[in-house]
Amino acid sequence: MTPVTTSPVARVLQRVPVPLRGVFPFLVAIPLLACVHFATSGAPFFVILSLGVGVNVILAVSLNIVNGMTGQFSIGHAGFMAVGAYTAGLTSTILSEYGLSFLPGAVSDQVMFTLSLAVGGAVAAAFGFLVGLPSLRLKGDYLAIVTLGFGEIIRVIVQNTDVFGRALGLRGVPQWTSMFSCWFIVFLTIVVARRIAASTHGRSLLAIREDEVAAEAMGVNTTAYKVRSFVVAAFFAGLAGGVFAHYQSIVNPGSFTFVKSMEIVVIIVAGGLGSTTGAVVAAVFLTLLPEALRSIFLGLGVSSETAQLVDQARMPIYGILLVLIMLLRPQGLFGTRELWDLALFKPKGPEHFPPRPREGGAL
Amino acid sequence: MTSATTASADAILDAKSCTMQFGGLCALKEFSLAVGKGDLKGLIGPNGAGKTTAFNVLTGVYAPTTGDVVVDGVRMNGRLPHQINRAGLARTFQNIRLFKELSAIDNVKVGCLSDATPFFPRSKIEALRKEGNGALAYTFEAWGNYLDWWRAFLLTPGFLREEADIEERARTLLEVMGLAHRAEEAARNLPYGEQRRLEIARALATGPKVLLLDEPAAGMNTREKQDLMALIRQLRDQMGLGILLIEHDMKLVMGICENITVLDHGETIAVGTPEEVKRDPKVIEAYLGVESHELRA
Amino acid sequence: MAELVQHIINGVAAGTIYALVALGYTMVYGVLKLINFAHGDVMMVGCYAGYASAHTMGTTTASSFIGVTLVFLISVGACALIGFLIERFAYRPLREKPRLVALITAIGVSFTISYGFQLNLSLGGLTILPGASPRAFPEVITPADWLVVGDPNYPDIVLRNTQVISVLIAVALMAALQLLVFRSRFGVAMRAVSFDHRTSALMGIPVDRVIALTFMLGSALAAGAGVLYAIKDTRIEPLMGTQVGLKAFVAAVIGGIGHVPGALVGALLLGLVEEFVVGYGSSTWRDAVAFGFLIVVLLFKPEGLFGRVSAEKV
Ligand SMILES: Nc1ncnc2c1ncn2[C@@H]1O[C@H](COP(=O)(O)OP(=O)(O)O)[C@@H](O)[C@H]1O
Ligand SMILES: [Mg+2]
Repeated sequence: MTPVTTSPVARVLQRVPVPLRGVFPFLVAIPLLACVHFATSGAPFFVILSLGVGVNVILAVSLNIVNGMTGQFSIGHAGFMAVGAYTAGLTSTILSEYGLSFLPGAVSDQVMFTLSLAVGGAVAAAFGFLVGLPSLRLKGDYLAIVTLGFGEIIRVIVQNTDVFGRALGLRGVPQWTSMFSCWFIVFLTIVVARRIAASTHGRSLLAIREDEVAAEAMGVNTTAYKVRSFVVAAFFAGLAGGVFAHYQSIVNPGSFTFVKSMEIVVIIVAGGLGSTTGAVVAAVFLTLLPEALRSIFLGLGVSSETAQLVDQARMPIYGILLVLIMLLRPQGLFGTRELWDLALFKPKGPEHFPPRPREGGAL
Repeated sequence: MTSATTASADAILDAKSCTMQFGGLCALKEFSLAVGKGDLKGLIGPNGAGKTTAFNVLTGVYAPTTGDVVVDGVRMNGRLPHQINRAGLARTFQNIRLFKELSAIDNVKVGCLSDATPFFPRSKIEALRKEGNGALAYTFEAWGNYLDWWRAFLLTPGFLREEADIEERARTLLEVMGLAHRAEEAARNLPYGEQRRLEIARALATGPKVLLLDEPAAGMNTREKQDLMALIRQLRDQMGLGILLIEHDMKLVMGICENITVLDHGETIAVGTPEEVKRDPKVIEAYLGVESHELRA
Repeated sequence: MAELVQHIINGVAAGTIYALVALGYTMVYGVLKLINFAHGDVMMVGCYAGYASAHTMGTTTASSFIGVTLVFLISVGACALIGFLIERFAYRPLREKPRLVALITAIGVSFTISYGFQLNLSLGGLTILPGASPRAFPEVITPADWLVVGDPNYPDIVLRNTQVISVLIAVALMAALQLLVFRSRFGVAMRAVSFDHRTSALMGIPVDRVIALTFMLGSALAAGAGVLYAIKDTRIEPLMGTQVGLKAFVAAVIGGIGHVPGALVGALLLGLVEEFVVGYGSSTWRDAVAFGFLIVVLLFKPEGLFGRVSAEKV
């Protein structure tokens, strides 16, 4: 099963005049998101829930660029998120004291919000570059450990720095994240991830995942590409951190532990490493699952302590889920396929050949 | 014997007494070979003779313990495999190393790295490098690539044009290798012979001047082998490639190659035309040894 | 000067405990090429097993020689069992799968154990899962200062009995391991499996059994380390395994994973570096040190201090 059909989006894009192709999806999405934004403005609970989902989607889709497309194994994504959250939070806390007086208040806020997010993303990307560098020399498990170590080091540094509020964290970050801005960034992340995958750069990443030696022999600068995939993924994790900081209003080190990194790993593994669709679906589902379970239990009249237990059981359940997925369906929900590769959307399944015979002879 | 190598003046690939040592094992000793435009040369020898090792040294997978590899007049020592590939050397692998999960056409497209970025054309970067301005070339290359990612994000018209270009090139190559009907099939689902041909297509996509083929006919039946050899000769004739071929089947190599180098235990034991090589007593001895081996296996 | 000596003593004592845990990582990596992420959590289970048995015996019984030995043995047994179960049901089915699959599974197992232990669960008065709050490990070895240099009230150098005992036990266990690996038939089988388990199977080595035993052995060492750690630190909690485990893993990688004496050297180095950072810097940086150290070592010597570079055959 491989991606053989082109995405429906690509097919629609074929009809759009060339100069407009880049922006076309946004021209469609922005009005839609605006509608959703206003339609949900009366349901704060739903909005909060969906912001949490949105952040996880951004994280999952971006981590999937490193782990799914490039085939490296990063387990420190929360570290980049932390960098983004702290940088963006700090930037906007400082900026919010000035304001752009020549603009209306709300507009000025949004401009500064955008600026802070960009700063957060950029600094996170710089860290992505730093963390990507070891991937020049390290492979597999070793690289995983370095990314993990990086996440932990970031947390310890933050805990020891006054500007970042030490263990208490940043407080009073302006609450600028809205339904619209959050999901706009989600959309942006997905579009960029898909455009990478469908470009010559994405094919180079996939080639590295499939066979690094062969990719190198075909002229792919594998080391540089690995670093670049880290940079892009870290940038979006930084954005996710910024979005997170601006709706939580409090940023503390406890939000960016190893557990958070693992949550994202579970999501992309469950969705299928390499599938953006899988990352999105699994992020939505696994973020909502604990909430849903809690409300179902509460609805069934179970005491709130028991419902609490369900919440606590989230981590071991993630663990068991990981093991079960690996034992039963290691390729995850979607494998490396996307939505439009499913049988549903295909004219007819491709014919298959018997597996090739094992090659004989010495190496 | 090593000095007998026909070192043509216009050699594109020129290996100068390369030695490859693995711990105590000397897998390749004083290996010299030159391949020029339009050459079709063979590299033969019994199993474990060091043929694949020679390829690995030529393509930069291993750095030779001593000796030089020169491509187009530039010394390649210390260069990474992808840089050597860009310099004009492409190869296939003895143990097929396709990108298994990708479709056939995507495999070929990986090889079609775009050559024209609007910011820092690759030819200029290479020119810089030839002038010995490596650091500047590297900087341009790195930044050029980041800028290039932006074109992919924004789907600029130039980028779309290039993608269309790549698509067309890839399809043409698949057609040349007789794989057009398999374009959308995942590489791992292709039958063995087609996988070998796909590897050649992928190598050709990188736009090589010299093509190194590591046992391209292994595992094929006689008919397939003959077709492949015809195809290889056709590639040489039409594209003006230099081709270096490793092949087990003596008869095949003899029939197609104009010049043959014979390796045994890492040493070059004979170089010459098929006729000369066939009569060489050392070659006969080495091969008789191997045939009795193969009978037992 | 005295301060330096004191730090060295503390560092070595901490390092030997890391070494015991690190050996488990290294052994499993040797035979399976798998980072057993759950190894630290196995150690944690060992601590709790020791805790439970000491509690059941009562502190007075448990602090007798036989009592302490029993606490060790029970904890070793419990860990060996856990190690066996993990290998049998989580890793064995995945042995022929890509290594990433096994790595993810290992992380899953680790999560299940450590966070599972954070739940409160008891059935009919019997605690099954202990819950998140830390517990005080019973004083099975009454702390005593064996060597005091300087003013007894403000000593320059103190050598505790627990430190000496843990170093002795650790050294004895490591010596036994070294003997086992290089002097016994099982050791030969283990080394053969670590080179190539398919060929070993063809040579008639019961690969499954060797791997299972290796796991149990590694887990048993972790149990020993766990109890020693608990005696030293007196505080046990479900997430301790992840902490200690990661550091021990770092030690194993620094030494060159798969290399037994390397693990010891790496662990001692790590113990010392941590002790010095805490002693001369600040304890809040302690957790970052191990990883900082790791990254520095890996950047300059990716195969670890004693590891060998393995070129991929093409
Ligand atoms: N990376 C390596 N490390 C150690 N020995 C190697 C390596 N690669 C090849 N060899 C050895 O070099 C010799 C030549 O191998 P090879 O070049 O593959 O032979 P062939 O002529 O069959 O292609 C063999 O003995 C092989 O075992
Ligand atoms: Mg070979």
